[in-house]
Amino acid sequence: MKAAAGIDVGSTTAKCVILRDGELLGKSLNPVGVNIVRDAEEALRLALVDARLDRSEVAFVTGTGYGRYKIAFGQLTVTEISCHARGAHFLFPRTRLVIDIGGQDTKAIRVNERGEVADFAMNDKCAAGTGRFLDVCAGALGYDVAEIGPLSLEARHPVKVTSTCTVFAESEVTSHVSRGKDPKDILAGLHASIANRSLSLLQRVGIEPEVTFTGGVSRNEGMVRALSGRLRMPINVSPLSQYMGAIGAALAGADRLRGGTAS
Amino acid sequence: MITCGLDLGSGVVKGALIEDGRKILNTASRPTRGNPSSAGQQVLEDLAEAENLVPGDLAYLCTTGFGRYMFPNRQLQVSDITSSAKGASFLRPGTRHVLDIGAQSSRAIRISPTGKVLKFKMNEKCAAGAGRFVERCSKYLQVPMEDMSARALSAQKPKLISSVCAVLAETEIINNVAEEVPLPDILMGVYLSLAQRAYSLMRYVGIESEITLVGGLVHSEAMVRAVGDTVHMGVNAQSEGHYAAAIGAALLGHQRALRLSGPAGVRN
Repeated sequence: MKAAAGIDVGSTTAKCVILRDGELLGKSLNPVGVNIVRDAEEALRLALVDARLDRSEVAFVTGTGYGRYKIAFGQLTVTEISCHARGAHFLFPRTRLVIDIGGQDTKAIRVNERGEVADFAMNDKCAAGTGRFLDVCAGALGYDVAEIGPLSLEARHPVKVTSTCTVFAESEVTSHVSRGKDPKDILAGLHASIANRSLSLLQRVGIEPEVTFTGGVSRNEGMVRALSGRLRMPINVSPLSQYMGAIGAALAGADRLRGGTAS
Repeated sequence: MITCGLDLGSGVVKGALIEDGRKILNTASRPTRGNPSSAGQQVLEDLAEAENLVPGDLAYLCTTGFGRYMFPNRQLQVSDITSSAKGASFLRPGTRHVLDIGAQSSRAIRISPTGKVLKFKMNEKCAAGAGRFVERCSKYLQVPMEDMSARALSAQKPKLISSVCAVLAETEIINNVAEEVPLPDILMGVYLSLAQRAYSLMRYVGIESEITLVGGLVHSEAMVRAVGDTVHMGVNAQSEGHYAAAIGAALLGHQRALRLSGPAGVRN
């Protein structure tokens, strides 16, 4: 059987995976700038290099993510909601709830035993509770967003962050710093704030184990710990969590290949 | 009798001196810089110096704004809703609807002909719809705050912003810059987006003529125009509107002082 590629064009990065018979052949992650089309094409090219495949060996390309309509070279587009559900179910077959925290939106998706979407809730209107919130607040503390998760785990007296709005939280962070609070304690408070926002989204669709955490923010250990603590249950995370949408997209494409409706 | 109103805001502390509850003697302001009480003390000293006041001249001091409890030498504090309504009604007696856009919060207040609050709605949870949004845009578009309004007014085709969130709007605006949308069009879009947020507060309390804009953005002609275009109605705006809450607080202080010095029977 031929390979299928899935490209998840997000707000900050484009992720691409290439699958054949349920086996991951290659993947790539490419930052997205103003030229979404070019960055998405580059993601596909990099994944082909990683898989050591020629473009002709990929029979089906599926796009997902918020920039999916801008990629013209795919045969199919699928919503990121169904792709995340599908991808999470593929990696963790007992998943019933997916929490996807991306660069600028957050989704809670309840899935059935076949990995289909049963219900979902989404916040794409407000940066609070998304990766963007962590980005901005990390910046206010002078850290790179990649460092803050592990640091937050070293907190001893977490500070409560009361502002919901990212802009106000940024000022709150600065004022905590000026009052001499330990940045680690502030970071723990920021992670707790996102976990709280996520919880209310998850409650809207109903909390049921197993919970799988996807999206870029799932790479942040501090966030995994904060979320799992707030939910009082373990949550599934995979090194491939960030590629969940792309995997789901590739699987949807593979279905079409099997069904023979690729054209 | 001279009374003073101090509006301890998150961005700026404003002060107003009123004589006999009728005449504005003077106004002054200082940036808050995270310390409302010290900024308030400075404003008070500025006013005393400008009007040659000696201790004892000031009959009553009333505070308002988010820092109203943080100023120790006060006789009374009133909410910013009450003081804005009172001040706007004093400045423009025909006012029935006050729109107060501050640095960190905004409120729409429907008032009675005597300046009493009938209904209000406030947004203090979200930076979109507050002056902070314009400040941030000024920073990342590298247009000085004092030039924002004038540049926006030369817009030909204002570029509306679809994001509600101030942070997500940032990305959208930067994309607009990359797509070479003319700067004035982007800037007017910022003001229109603010006006749109204000409009939803205003509709909630009920829109009624006359509308008076108060708060820090009153100096910005682009904001006045954006609100007017959004509500399809004329909007009162004058530079004293920046001091509306301070003026209102001084007036309410005057009323209280009168009651306290009046015959025992009317004291409450």
